[in-house]
Amino acid sequence: MVQTLEEVETRDQTAPELPWVTLVWNDPVNLMSYVSWVFRSYFGFSPAEADKRMLLVHNEGRAVVASGSREEMEKHVEAMHDFGLWATLQKEGS
Amino acid sequence: MIPFTRSGDLIIASLAQPESALISSLAAQIADLLEPLAAPPLIDDPDAAALYAATGIGGSAAIDADSAIARLLPDAYGGDAEASREFRGLTEMSLASRKVANARLVVETLETADAAGGELSLDTVATQAWLRTLADIRLTIAARLGIEIDGQPEPDDAADAELALRDVYDWLAWVTETLLDALED
Repeated sequence: MVQTLEEVETRDQTAPELPWVTLVWNDPVNLMSYVSWVFRSYFGFSPAEADKRMLLVHNEGRAVVASGSREEMEKHVEAMHDFGLWATLQKEGS
Repeated sequence: MIPFTRSGDLIIASLAQPESALISSLAAQIADLLEPLAAPPLIDDPDAAALYAATGIGGSAAIDADSAIARLLPDAYGGDAEASREFRGLTEMSLASRKVANARLVVETLETADAAGGELSLDTVATQAWLRTLADIRLTIAARLGIEIDGQPEPDDAADAELALRDVYDWLAWVTETLLDALED
């Protein structure tokens, strides 16, 4: 019980209103056309924006595809896992 | 295989029987692989068991030791093992269930196609299931073959079975491309 309380306290102290981000990571399997289609169909990006972020994933190894509340980012990460994309969330700048 | 094209609200293609059997077998293997993780935990308390089943909440304590399963059900938090563990405990079962359902739907559409002389016809829901399952199959094959970098060539000493699997992997990429092309039309 004590441990649970401590954990909640820690979370409250370290996570005030900092935004969270959803990152998509490069993998050697998913096709560039598929990743771009996922970005368009799920996030509603324009074709140009989707291609830009897809190329960031491909060339830089990762790209931020969304930012906002922790709950929203958890929803996005789970959706990316549905598509077979390798995605994680973290606090912005961490 | 005749590539996917759009026909009104449907996406259609024509498959030879061996092609249909191959995709069906691979999709069924994905479903079988993830089925144990899609089931509610076995617990004695019937009320708690009913709650797990009704909410879809549940999951393993850690990422799977099998590299293919680990890639299909990855950690959600970058650099925070405890948060990943907690999130997995809440969501893994439903994620695995959706993947199993997608794979089973692919098998169903192929059974229907076989009965129609190989004419495959996908509505919106089935198209989504196909794209996700094709990705899951290729991720699983890549994990089995140890494909870890972009454009990784086949090893010189690859066994025949590995080369055959690599051909399947590349062919499924082509199938995915034609499905995406048809969606753009």
